Amino acid sequence: MCDDKSNMQAYAGVDVGSLATKSVVIVDGNIAGSSVIPTGVYPEKAGQEAMKIALASAGLEQNELRFIVATGYGRITAKYADKTVTEITCHAKGASYLRQAARTIIDMGGQDCKVIKLDREGNVDDFAMNDKCAAGTGRFLEVMANVFKVSLDELGPMALKAKSIVPISSTCTVFAESEVISLIARGEPPEDILKGIHQAISNRVSGMASRVNPEAEIFFSGGVAKNVGMKAALETALKSSVYVPDFDPQLVGALGAAVLAKSHGPKV
Amino acid sequence: MALATLGKFKEALKERPAELADARREGKKAIGWIGYYVPEEVIHALGLIPVRIGRGGDDRLAELGSNYISTQNCIFLRECVGLFAENKDPYVKNLDAVVVDAACLQMYRMSSIIKYYFKANTLVLGVPRNYYLPEGREYFRKEMGFLVERLENIAGHELEAEKLVASVKLYDDIRRAVLELYKFPSLYCQPITWREVFETVQSGYLLDKEKYLSLLKELLAELKEKPDSFGGASPEKGVRVLLTGSAIHPGDTKLIDIIEASGGRVVCDNLWSGLAPYLDKKVEDATLGGIADAYLGRVPAPALPYFDGATDPRLNTLKRLAKELEVHGVIYYTLRYCDSANFKVRNTKNALADDGVPLLNIHTEYSGSDAGAIRTRVEAFIEMLGTADDKEMRQ
Repeated sequence: MCDDKSNMQAYAGVDVGSLATKSVVIVDGNIAGSSVIPTGVYPEKAGQEAMKIALASAGLEQNELRFIVATGYGRITAKYADKTVTEITCHAKGASYLRQAARTIIDMGGQDCKVIKLDREGNVDDFAMNDKCAAGTGRFLEVMANVFKVSLDELGPMALKAKSIVPISSTCTVFAESEVISLIARGEPPEDILKGIHQAISNRVSGMASRVNPEAEIFFSGGVAKNVGMKAALETALKSSVYVPDFDPQLVGALGAAVLAKSHGPKV
Repeated sequence: MALATLGKFKEALKERPAELADARREGKKAIGWIGYYVPEEVIHALGLIPVRIGRGGDDRLAELGSNYISTQNCIFLRECVGLFAENKDPYVKNLDAVVVDAACLQMYRMSSIIKYYFKANTLVLGVPRNYYLPEGREYFRKEMGFLVERLENIAGHELEAEKLVASVKLYDDIRRAVLELYKFPSLYCQPITWREVFETVQSGYLLDKEKYLSLLKELLAELKEKPDSFGGASPEKGVRVLLTGSAIHPGDTKLIDIIEASGGRVVCDNLWSGLAPYLDKKVEDATLGGIADAYLGRVPAPALPYFDGATDPRLNTLKRLAKELEVHGVIYYTLRYCDSANFKVRNTKNALADDGVPLLNIHTEYSGSDAGAIRTRVEAFIEMLGTADDKEMRQ
């Protein structure tokens, strides 16, 4: 993609999440390549592989990178990175890059959920995190998709078709699964149950968000941000507009890592 | 360069269990105690050996304790019960009685359980909820008198006024030395770390008191001789952190390890197991009544009722320390089911925010399963507070 590479400034961010590993390459300040692959059981290999694919999509080799920042729970295994930074800081940077006015981020990933408050410069001002419980995470929705025997992508659109709502009283994944099975057996419409599931998660996330005094609008990132039903449920629970970027929301952390790599400049 | 006196503390601590066992063989009696209002100097004045009991950080012992006390009690107290259940701790197995104050009601329950299951001779010291009223002070004076009667029975003689005066003086000297020692980790050059100070103070609860004071004086002299103690060295990098919340006990190092590994520097604490008991304690009158008033007049234990935010001495002490020590942030440690610390997080966070001091709450137990998650939070907090390096990255 670059004819003259002598002055090219290429940086990579790698976000090794619990379920997916993501990488973004930026060249001269612009997003040039990206990738999303399953993390599997070898996070270090997954990070290298994701970066390799992102580099290939940008037409670059690893030796052309000036700096690499790794983030996500697997950052501690990222020997290939020049620096590691937490996903909280990276999400802040990624969101600011995509939407300078962003002040509150809700990131719903595979196994954790976080709310990040930003200052005017896009720095982290406060944050709250839930990662001891699967409620409010992609994993919770995966379990529910399995109960309904539908794909993860179908959950949100189905919830939006609900004519009514069946409240779910439990946000514990295990108990909620039993509750949903009982509701199905009772003959409740799947769409209405799914709306209840989305509402239960969004209420929980909303409670967590209140700890950081969120400011409108909400920037929604992470794999779960692709779920239109969750976006709608969050808007209701938070009484605020929720913005999902056109750029893949699952890549926001990796993008932030790449932005931080760029700000760090070339390695000495 | 390592401080030589710290090695002497370690040596003394290593020898202490054998010393204690020898002393008991010679007819001396050891009194275990735990809490915030137990008058250690009175135990000492009676010729009894005071030993603060309790350890933290051991999930196995906590699980053992959970066979006797509900798991909906804080993990520190569950571990305390586990210590009695196992009866291998060199201090726990060498006790003639255990004094527990009832400021924390879970601790009070723990005292009932170790009495019921393990036949521990427990003496409970009542603590008034209305500690700020004259009636509360009167009640506590009477409770103190009742405790002393029971301790006198164990000692086999009455409390002597002269010995009480001497013990009050000894404990006041220790208090002054501890307060002086606590100033060093907050110096920018940090000639001694907060962890070293904290461990030193914890060892003092087990050591012979005269020996402890003598070692404290030696340590202070060594620190003052260090060329970089006062303004000699340039400020080092590191985010300055103040610790508060649930008590941290010896062995409970998970959070401290993570803070240090993440580039944070603890400069002070405001814990009831750390600095708090030494603040604002003035025994004006070395009598039982004077001692009772002095204990009740200190910064109150976290378990006692709170005043309105603006007037609560605990909150004000925290705010004062944060300001005076120029900390970048406060880490508020809460153990699951330590409700007296848990429910105040938001209020404390808001009060500190008014002073521009961010607060991170770490809510945990003793198992290591959440170490990765805590590490992410602490690292993110340290990144947020910003070392010079991180600030550069933010630009």
